[in-house]
Amino acid sequence: MELRTTNICMKNFKSRLPDVTFYSRESEAACGPRGSVVGFSGSVSEKMLSGLHYPGCPEARLRSLREKLPCREVQAGTLLAIMGEPEQYCYPSIFIYGHRATGKSHVILTLLKELELPHAAVSCVECVSAGLLFEQTLLALFGADSAALLPRLPSLSDFVRVYRQVCAQQPAKQTRYIVLERAELLRDMEANLLPGLLRLQELVDDNVAVILLSEIVWDKFRPNTGCFEPLLLHFPDYTKAELLQILSLDSNPSYTPELYSSYINILLGVFYSVCRDLRELRHLAALNFSKFCEPLEKGEAKEGNTHKLWRNIEPHLKRAMQTVYLREVSSVQWGQQQMDEKEATALRGLSALAHVELPYYSKFLLIAAYLASYNPARTDRRFFVKHHGKMKKTSFLKKHEKTSNHLLGPKPFPLDRLLAIFYSVVDSRVAPTASVFSQISSLVTLQLLTQVGHDDQLDTPKYKCAVSLDFILAISRTVSFDIVRYLYDFI
Amino acid sequence: TPRHATPSIPTRSLPARKPENVLEEARARLHVSSVPESLPCREQEFQDIYSFVESKIMDGTGGCMYISGVPGTGKTATVHEVIRSLLQAAEQDEIPHFRFIEINGMRMTDPHQAYVQILQKLTDQKATADHAAALLEKRFSMPAPKKETTVLLVDELDLLWTRKQNVMYNLFDWPTRRHARLVVLTIANTMDLPERIMMNRVASRLGLTRMSFQPYNFKQLQQIITSRLNRVKAFEEDALQLISRKVAALSGDARRCLDICRRATEICEHSGQQGGTKLVGMSHVMEALDEMFSSSYITAIRCASLQEQLFLRAVIAEFRRLGLEEATFQQVFVQHQGLCRMEGLQPISVSEGLAVCQRLGACRLLLLEPSRLDLLLRVRLNVSQDDVLYALKAD
Repeated sequence: MELRTTNICMKNFKSRLPDVTFYSRESEAACGPRGSVVGFSGSVSEKMLSGLHYPGCPEARLRSLREKLPCREVQAGTLLAIMGEPEQYCYPSIFIYGHRATGKSHVILTLLKELELPHAAVSCVECVSAGLLFEQTLLALFGADSAALLPRLPSLSDFVRVYRQVCAQQPAKQTRYIVLERAELLRDMEANLLPGLLRLQELVDDNVAVILLSEIVWDKFRPNTGCFEPLLLHFPDYTKAELLQILSLDSNPSYTPELYSSYINILLGVFYSVCRDLRELRHLAALNFSKFCEPLEKGEAKEGNTHKLWRNIEPHLKRAMQTVYLREVSSVQWGQQQMDEKEATALRGLSALAHVELPYYSKFLLIAAYLASYNPARTDRRFFVKHHGKMKKTSFLKKHEKTSNHLLGPKPFPLDRLLAIFYSVVDSRVAPTASVFSQISSLVTLQLLTQVGHDDQLDTPKYKCAVSLDFILAISRTVSFDIVRYLYDFI
Repeated sequence: TPRHATPSIPTRSLPARKPENVLEEARARLHVSSVPESLPCREQEFQDIYSFVESKIMDGTGGCMYISGVPGTGKTATVHEVIRSLLQAAEQDEIPHFRFIEINGMRMTDPHQAYVQILQKLTDQKATADHAAALLEKRFSMPAPKKETTVLLVDELDLLWTRKQNVMYNLFDWPTRRHARLVVLTIANTMDLPERIMMNRVASRLGLTRMSFQPYNFKQLQQIITSRLNRVKAFEEDALQLISRKVAALSGDARRCLDICRRATEICEHSGQQGGTKLVGMSHVMEALDEMFSSSYITAIRCASLQEQLFLRAVIAEFRRLGLEEATFQQVFVQHQGLCRMEGLQPISVSEGLAVCQRLGACRLLLLEPSRLDLLLRVRLNVSQDDVLYALKAD
């Protein structure tokens, strides 16, 4: 049954897709159907590259469509070929994958909207339960009456039943599309949801196609019990030239397009090595353009003087990489700062605000915890006992340890060791009062310490120190304690 | 689904076909659902159960009996036979009248449903599980002079197990009441069920009246088939003997035996279409036995694609190298690439390799972890290495 439907589907549009090679894998006989990878690189002929074809669609609309999908003509063409004419049956499920911001949802949604095909676009992030997903799908495809037919906690079989019921009243004249964005979240829902959606066409017996969009490859989706294999479609990353072309489209009306594209060129020169995300780049381009235009407005440079403009903007962009790109400084702050013409480093970022004011003994407790976490216990005698007698120098010498403890991360330590180190590093006599112990547990609630192995709360609990070296250095400076002298890694 | 829909089997529009030739006649008689005229080879057990129940009915007392045995040894059929002849005897006024109730653990969604079903069958009353338990408790502990004995058959007893074992406890406790007049016959597969899963106070109430049904030996199986066939001449004598010997050697399951017989008649019918009717011979039986008993895994491996067979070979090679029965996909894939080169094939990509691996996992030749681990997913064989090697070597 399974095999038969696939073959029929494949036959249907192998005839429609003369130029796309289907790499069907070996052994049709072994266990049922499998998807085919539609390759873009070598297998698509020049004819398809030349533009989009869609039967029964005016040429003008196709042209406007082409303008809306810059640098994605090949993919759009393939998609159109797979979708076929509206009344033809589409392949039951298509899986589209590619990196973030490679135009997956943009292409498919633009196509569906422009060609006015019935479709439901659902983001799986919004659907915390499968019920919401079903409801939204029915709402978009058939209107509010149909969604009301679903019971309170709908299962996949309820969805299929309601779909068939409504579909009997409004039979499909065109292929209906269900677009599921962020499809990787479907794996965490019920186990039968993803396999069910992949063969929805067969289940509801209607001309419906499910399109899954994801950043993850299909191999990580496949259920252990097997499923109907969708058609795999890859959206490759934009190249530098393509990014340039796309970003240059939104030029500022008060300047020439050439100036804007030279600005984008500079921006890509700085950022392309760290970021290829179209959305990030567009955001950065919008943020920094006013700074780029400053010399022009002041009259210090002309549009043709590219070198001067580059000299002006380049350090600014490099600073932006460390601040606004990492969201240390918010975009609003960054914009204001450009307006006020302040020096960019004057602003303190988010990470500079990480300083925490702690009580006196808490600071020492934290220091002691840090020392206990990052020093091996055998060196405690050497560091913390005042008159430690004669210690062989050789025994203390670092055994051929490959990596430092700071690379391995903190190690757990018992409460006794923490207190022993604490009494050693605090100069005055501290009574082990309730407040000292409550400070330890409040350090845990502040997430500066973490408790390891929650099996035993009272009797010899174990902790780990969860702060960075910079943080502890700042703390120890406030109590004028030289922590570096006590750290085994830095001796 | 509609609210008050009761699922039902679709009704037959045409009357059932009459068997046209000997083979069809034989097939109808050999079907598991056709009730035989008598149960051969279980006369002793029949007698024991009959006298147990009969004595309880005559005395107006209650009691429990535990019946065990592997599947297909005729436990349920024998008990039904006993009840049938007891009902006949009651009709002829040889023994006092009694009521017979049957429940099956497999047919319940929840062990506590047992109360509901018993109550409904006793009094046509519908109640919740708790209420039904209370009503039954009252019914069985109150004296009622005109009450007739109730015989309760509990099939698939092990499914009535609950954490507190209150369902089992009640079922075995009611017969011990003075006024209950309840006989409970329980059926399960394992002999030591009372010792294994029941608490002491439950097991002691079940009592020591136990009976175990031994698996049939080949003579008994042969007798069962001949009695079922009842002078319909469809089988050669040797063929029957082969079937019964094979089944007796493996399980002694009468149902299995009947299945094989029916399949053999079908094969005979297919092969003998041109030459009219003839007897089921040795060759047909051999073919049927082969179909029933041969492992489907080996066939699956033989029918797998080249890359899948290579992958299985890579799995075994990797196990040999590691000396373990488990490897990650990554390790197996490296072996696979090597094997591809050795065979002169184009090495496949990781995605294709993973697809091959997961396809083998989907037909349970391999045991796999969830696919989201991709390279790190651990691979184990679900069949023995010898089977795989045998299947791969044969061609």
